Amino acid sequence: MPEQLSFCKSLFAGAIEQEIVFPYPRIDAEEEENLSMILDSLRQFAKDHVNSSEIDRSGEIPKEILGGLAELGVFGMSIPEEYGGYGFSSTAYNRVFEEMAAIDASLAVTMGGHQSIGLKALLLHGSEEQKKRYLPKLASGEWFAAFALTEPGAGSDAAGIQTTAVKDESSGDYILNGNKIWITNGGFADFFTVFAKTPMGDGGEMKISAFAVTRDMEGVASGKEEEKLGIHGSSTTELTFDNVRVPASNLIGPLGKGFKVAMEVLNSGRLGLAAACAGGTKKLTALSVDHAMNRKQFNTPIANFEMIQGKISDMVVDAFVVESMVYLTTGLIDRGDVDYSLESAICKVYGSEAAWRTVSEAMQIAGGLGYSAEYPYEQALRDVRINLIFEGTNEVLRAFIALAGMQEHGEYLKKVGKALQNPLADLGVLTDYTLGRIKSRVSTNRLEDVHSALSEQTGKFEEYAKELHVAVEKVLTKYRKDVIHQEFLLQRISDMVIDLFAMVSVITRLDSMLKEKGEDNVQRELTICQTFCEDAWRRIRRNSRQIENNIDASRKKIAESTCETGGYDLDLIG
Amino acid sequence: MKIIVCMKQVPVQDSLLKITDDSRWVQEAELNYEINESDHYALETALLLKEEHGGEVVILTMGPRRVKEAIKQGLAKGADRALHINNESFTTLDIFINAKLLAAAIQQEEADLVLTGLQTDDYGFGQTGVILAEKLGLPHASIVMEILKQDGSIKVKREMESGWFQSVELPLPALLTIQSGISQIRYATIKGIMMAKKKEIKELSLSDLGLAEGDVDDSTSSLKFHKLYVPEKTKQAELLEGDPKDVAAQLVHKLKNEAKVF
Repeated sequence: MPEQLSFCKSLFAGAIEQEIVFPYPRIDAEEEENLSMILDSLRQFAKDHVNSSEIDRSGEIPKEILGGLAELGVFGMSIPEEYGGYGFSSTAYNRVFEEMAAIDASLAVTMGGHQSIGLKALLLHGSEEQKKRYLPKLASGEWFAAFALTEPGAGSDAAGIQTTAVKDESSGDYILNGNKIWITNGGFADFFTVFAKTPMGDGGEMKISAFAVTRDMEGVASGKEEEKLGIHGSSTTELTFDNVRVPASNLIGPLGKGFKVAMEVLNSGRLGLAAACAGGTKKLTALSVDHAMNRKQFNTPIANFEMIQGKISDMVVDAFVVESMVYLTTGLIDRGDVDYSLESAICKVYGSEAAWRTVSEAMQIAGGLGYSAEYPYEQALRDVRINLIFEGTNEVLRAFIALAGMQEHGEYLKKVGKALQNPLADLGVLTDYTLGRIKSRVSTNRLEDVHSALSEQTGKFEEYAKELHVAVEKVLTKYRKDVIHQEFLLQRISDMVIDLFAMVSVITRLDSMLKEKGEDNVQRELTICQTFCEDAWRRIRRNSRQIENNIDASRKKIAESTCETGGYDLDLIG
Repeated sequence: MKIIVCMKQVPVQDSLLKITDDSRWVQEAELNYEINESDHYALETALLLKEEHGGEVVILTMGPRRVKEAIKQGLAKGADRALHINNESFTTLDIFINAKLLAAAIQQEEADLVLTGLQTDDYGFGQTGVILAEKLGLPHASIVMEILKQDGSIKVKREMESGWFQSVELPLPALLTIQSGISQIRYATIKGIMMAKKKEIKELSLSDLGLAEGDVDDSTSSLKFHKLYVPEKTKQAELLEGDPKDVAAQLVHKLKNEAKVF
């Protein structure tokens, strides 16, 4: 398979692969029309049947709601038509998912656990026979799916799982043993994608493989429902596998390649989470605007006060940015020929943090009412918080974003260096890969033909894309392999890339809009784009300057000494 | 049983309406449209009858290109095909002309039953259905809540005033205007939405209906819009004073006889 291009990875290497992100991707008119009808149906259904605060209070989603949604067909959106689903594009799927999150967070988490990740491995790597066997039931909502990776000792360090699947040579079955925790839909799912270590060959080296496990297999058990801060209506349980006999035909993808399968599932699954955050952010913005317009203090609606206006502006900018980056990335998935792993991680990090900022400010705008359980803000605050944690904590994703990007850059340096040392022997490398890269660095470190109304933003993007490249070179040259431990720097580099991708997302969205509708008709969007880019490049500049000039060593010292003393022991009084 | 359902697209219920400069109509450019509420119930009634007795449900609508949205929603919910009388200038036509156009389209189909909503949420005349029945020479019943199909006829329950109902039997073919709120309207499913694109939407021009521009334009309209205006706001407050018991009695009297709220 030819190496797939990635927009963000290319940025590390100093190249702007404009073709990947311009023009802004659009779904075709017919799909858009269908989508708008589906959204209408879903909104109407929610209005008639879904009471989000009741779901929060009771801790469960009524069966009639899941049944009704199954009837609408939403549980099979991403499944191809030949297996009983509807074959939605990633863009259409995530747009519906966004709406679901605006309706109720527990519903969205349940659907995401089922479709964004639970059955995704089957879609991506399942055999024809496995797909025929399971997908129709999962598409109709007769069965629900769950994704079972996390274990007590393996959270962010997913490679450290202890669950084993050992082949019983007499029957050919795998015998599955182990525990999984924090499994979404764990209490009622019928189908589980389970990751377990399998011995490879005689050497006994253990590698991860993915298995299709069903509730009816003997030895599969769910623990009690976890008591959580929010998303009360979603099911989260432990799963135990006690000598579960899994037929060899239930192995999903090649033996020993389970880690790659899990990462691929999460790459696309994370995007659903970001779409959900966009939905939540938009809903909270509407609530806040309504409150600010109607709540009067000092004889005027509080919407007239600049400190409130600042908050509303931040919410709208965040919603616009998250939406722009999410549907740019789903567009990348739908075109099928680019690597979107960094982009989807960026969407998850930015989206979840934007939603958290938004819910906090929405609560602030609502004042005392916001803190009351009678209003929707406190539930929203509890519901939103999980997004910074699950499907990869934002910390591990920041490390991933920086390291995966630098790995690409490192590969590039290695290949160029090697090829230049011995140009004749490595001519192949030089022509096929490196030359292309060198050429692209020379010719495409600019964004070409962008609408003139965006020239300032485009200029800043180009300037700070170079800044990233320089920062990456500095860090790599100084730390080489040890860069993996320089997390303060990894965080800054990932934050620079996050802001750059966010900038290019709004620039390309605006460029397409300006060219289609004319400058006069997109003034609001243009202001949002300008406002965001202005903030973003200043953040990038600050992060870049702090690569060399920072207080990291002091912060590290403070943390280490505090860990030694076991907490804050510097009481001023008493 | 072949059932034709007349559906109209109207501005979304809580739209902010702005009146045009000539005060003759509302500015349409910024409006969003939806299916008229009671037409939803007419369609639901037709789909239920089809599920029980078999047959075909045909949507009939007229108006500019935007009404396709309403048609597609109806098809997505389960109607079999649609007829669209396509003309950009229909919005200000009077009821009589509307009925004439609809009748011309219906006459080309041999329907057993024609259903319309009780009234539209925009004009609220409540007359299109009954005039249409007259044009088609069909028996009709209005404000229908339930339909029982019998051999060659139907028995319907009509809503009267003050909680009274009336049971009427009509021979088929017939026309019924359907009351809102009589059933749980179904949601368009993803399956239905995807299947809708394969269903036929037949475009009908005036000549297809055997009519000419002069038969249906504003000059032939017997209804003229003179002025459209937003009701003027008036404030009136009356303070009742005295013994609480007397005040309560006065209040009840006023609510009943002056404000007429019950």
